[in-house]
Amino acid sequence: MTVVARTWDRLTLPGKALFILIPLLGVLTLGLVITIALFGQQILDILIFNLPIVRFVFSVTILMLIFVPMAFVIIYMEMKIIALMNLRIGPDRVGPWGTLLSTVHGLKVLMKEDFTPGKADAVVFTWAPVVVFSTAVLSALVLPFAPGLYGQDMNIGLLYFFAVGGMTVVGLLMGGWSSFNKYSLIGGLRSAAQIVSYEIPLTLSVVGLVILAGTMSLNEIVIQQSRTGWFTDWFMFRQPLGFLIFAIAATAEANRTPFDLTEADSEIVAGFATEYSGMRFGFFFFAEYINVFIISAITVVLFMGGWNAPFPSPHISWIVDPGSLGLWLVILIAIVPVVGTLALAAPFYLFRSKTRWWVALILGFVLFNVIAGGIFSLWAYINFDWVAGLFWFVGKAFALVFLFVWMRGTLPRVRIDQLMGFAWKWLLPAALLNLFVTAAAVLVIDAMKAAPK
Amino acid sequence: MTTETAPRSGEPRPAPKGTHRSTDDPNVLLQDDYDFYEPIPPYTPRTEREAEFYTLGDGEMFLNMGPQHPSTHGVLRVVLKLDGERVVDIDPVLGYLHRGVEKLVENADYHQTISQVDPLEYISSLFCEWAPVTAYERLLDVEVPRRAEYIRVLSGELNRIASHALFLGWFALDLGGLTPILWSFIERDEIVEMLAALTGQRMLFNYFRIGGVNGDLNHEFMSRLGDWMSRAVGQIEAGMGLLNENEIFVRRAAGLGVIDTEMALRYCMTGPNLRATGVPFDLRRTHPYSIYPELEFDIPTRTEGDCLARYLLRMEEIKQSIRIIDQCLDKMPDGPIMAKLPRLIRPRPGRAWSGVEGPRGVYGAYAISDGTDQPFRLKIHDPSFIHLQAVGALLPGCLLADCMAVMASLDPIMGGVDK
Amino acid sequence: MDRTLARRLEARFESVLHGAARQRHDQTEIRIGAGDVIDVLRSLHDEPDLAFTMLADLAGVDTGKEMQVVYHLWSATTTDWLRVIAEGLSRDEPRIPSVTFLWQGAEWMERETYDMFGIIFEGNRDLRRIYMPPDYTSFPLRKDFYLPDDAARSTGAGVRHVERSRSPVDAAPGVLRRTGA
Repeated sequence: MTVVARTWDRLTLPGKALFILIPLLGVLTLGLVITIALFGQQILDILIFNLPIVRFVFSVTILMLIFVPMAFVIIYMEMKIIALMNLRIGPDRVGPWGTLLSTVHGLKVLMKEDFTPGKADAVVFTWAPVVVFSTAVLSALVLPFAPGLYGQDMNIGLLYFFAVGGMTVVGLLMGGWSSFNKYSLIGGLRSAAQIVSYEIPLTLSVVGLVILAGTMSLNEIVIQQSRTGWFTDWFMFRQPLGFLIFAIAATAEANRTPFDLTEADSEIVAGFATEYSGMRFGFFFFAEYINVFIISAITVVLFMGGWNAPFPSPHISWIVDPGSLGLWLVILIAIVPVVGTLALAAPFYLFRSKTRWWVALILGFVLFNVIAGGIFSLWAYINFDWVAGLFWFVGKAFALVFLFVWMRGTLPRVRIDQLMGFAWKWLLPAALLNLFVTAAAVLVIDAMKAAPK
Repeated sequence: MTTETAPRSGEPRPAPKGTHRSTDDPNVLLQDDYDFYEPIPPYTPRTEREAEFYTLGDGEMFLNMGPQHPSTHGVLRVVLKLDGERVVDIDPVLGYLHRGVEKLVENADYHQTISQVDPLEYISSLFCEWAPVTAYERLLDVEVPRRAEYIRVLSGELNRIASHALFLGWFALDLGGLTPILWSFIERDEIVEMLAALTGQRMLFNYFRIGGVNGDLNHEFMSRLGDWMSRAVGQIEAGMGLLNENEIFVRRAAGLGVIDTEMALRYCMTGPNLRATGVPFDLRRTHPYSIYPELEFDIPTRTEGDCLARYLLRMEEIKQSIRIIDQCLDKMPDGPIMAKLPRLIRPRPGRAWSGVEGPRGVYGAYAISDGTDQPFRLKIHDPSFIHLQAVGALLPGCLLADCMAVMASLDPIMGGVDK
Repeated sequence: MDRTLARRLEARFESVLHGAARQRHDQTEIRIGAGDVIDVLRSLHDEPDLAFTMLADLAGVDTGKEMQVVYHLWSATTTDWLRVIAEGLSRDEPRIPSVTFLWQGAEWMERETYDMFGIIFEGNRDLRRIYMPPDYTSFPLRKDFYLPDDAARSTGAGVRHVERSRSPVDAAPGVLRRTGA
């Protein structure tokens, strides 16, 4: 028994892990530094040469990083709002007002056993959540969040969105079929029938919009809704029927109540997700809520003006060059927070004798930060197009998310035959009518314009 | 220093013959011959009906629903024979909650039986007590004091409202509506707290006694009751408003699971399920017991006989129950709450049947005495049991999603079905 | 209480009644033999002056000497409950005709009675056990059923009947799950 082996045995498990990891990290860092030093220029050249690929990888990574926290936010919203509608309290334990509960749920899902039923088709079973999640993220690639803030600006953006978004059904069908469970199978087949049926009115309802806009680039469509700056430019008011059809069909596409037949818990337990557990279920779960956001976002982009504010905003440009301030910059950074904190802390200390001085200081600091943050945000909103755009875009999208949650709290579920009948007997003819009327109107107006005076 | 342990890596031991290792946990051995799980029983069919049911036709499959299913209202197991999503045939399998109450009762003293029959129908336990208690009173020829009768009717009607309010929630939940059940639980919780103040229990009250009731009205009960009565109607209307004008709800419930009068009588149905077909059969009027002849109330009926009619009828009954409670409080007499009876009861040999109108139908009790202090036989007649067998006739032809709606609209409680 | 009901019944079913019709409280009781059940119940159900269209309850009774099946009926013409007791079934092989041809709803009640007493209802299309496991051999509500012993002796004791999938190998507990060394 050597000394090394004995020492190794005495280490705890984290100790052993650190013992391995720290040298490994050191070696990797050294390797990275050497690689950059030797081949940095070549790597940079290759990256610049393949800029579209780099942009794609970068934006997908950013989207994935954004979407999981966003799913947490939406899940929390749903829990809390439905709780308030049900006259319950809802989550209130983890974090302030229970805001961290969905995060904790996410961690819990990570740690649970990832179970594969015997007789399940393990490969398909494993890949189904990946397909669902990645289609959700990929379809968000073309969404313009704000001026200049989008993954890719395609001239067939709308087509891409529907094409990739429709792939979700493949994932659901894979999950339903491979689970070796009849409830899952029924759920998967229901989702196939439902999503395929509702794709048609969904796509047809925006053809009228495309005729009006003359483009399928989502960026262009948003820009076209900002001619006067007022909300009357939104396509919602020029295509009311199309908007209605799109909203209903989009609800069905996102599998939300009242069209949540694929995971109807009172009928088929949890549909395609019955046999899933652990992180694989987590992917389904996140994908569902990401889909809710994406469907809201695409509705906002197409019909509600995208990033445009509902009213024309004052266009002030007040950019301060920090270099020109000189000594004032130092004063600004060093003195203003101190003075502000003291000034805001003073009332707490002076007017409530019970308050300790350090409590007053903390309160003052917090208050100062809130005020300073507010001023900074206002400055950013006025100054930068993309901040204002992001504000309005996310605001409108979350208003629609709230609408989805509200529907979930209010409505019962439709039956499968009613669902199908509604798609084929009502939505499809209405979408065709909308398309016909729009096309005819465009033709007539064009002819009148072209007619010699 | 080190001890010899089992090898931590490498090949696991070969599995014994006839078994293989689970892919999830190699330490778990599984039988090789376990195969596609079908709910087909592993024995030769006992009746022609069973043989017919468990033979699959072209394109059909079995779906085993329950006993652990979110919406079978307890531990009901239903084997569905499906053609796509359409139900071809149905075989309910009972007994997962069977406690053998009738045998337990035969080995218990007359007073002890009341707490035995209590958990049968745990949503409306007072009616489960009421039927055997009145049967024993008929065996004993005992006159119940009027105040006790008024308290019985008062608490019974409260229990009926609690049960119907819960029905509203369940029915909506089975149709996918999330909110009504939580709204109706507010109603139920208030009533249950009220009854807890009166009886000492929230769910299994064990309140009625042979010849009276266990305790007199107390201050907490009366103050809670008065508090609730002032807003009861508003609360119930709010819950109904969420559903009654909801297009999706009405479209799903209307015209579904239609029962006509002839079929209802053939299936021995009672209660709201029978009244929804147009028969004004309510034991409180047609076969009066207790003090119901002295009270004014209507027997609401509807003629459609579908799920929506059954739902609306129950909501009407809530309003009538509130009327009855009002009158009970108005007319409540003073006096004793228990008849004078010996501790140990030995009725003369004889037979007595008694039925009371519960929220789900007629709760019956058929008691036979042989002169000892234990009932010779007590047959419990439970309406849930009777109504549940109608799903076999109602469901074929429905869609899978309608199964829950039809089952929920009949309002069975598995505790009562399985006894 | 309908005083005329007993006399009407005695006049109508004079030949098949065992003894006189009895009345107590609001309940009238007639006793018939097991063979006459179909005729008597059909007349009670169909004849307009009787019109006992509702079967309120069907109960089996083991008196210790014989088996009985008790029907409780309710009529639209009277507020009395009618109790029809079909008596004299042998305890070794109790058989009685089914009434499912009049009341479909009696099917499960008869199944329950069969399950608890072993009374065989001839003509019931689905007479199998309803509460107890399929391979259970006793009839629990019979008076000669002793609670602990019979249940333990039954083949149904401790056996999982219907569900057979994915059960771990009970026979070799040593290899089922490796215990820590």
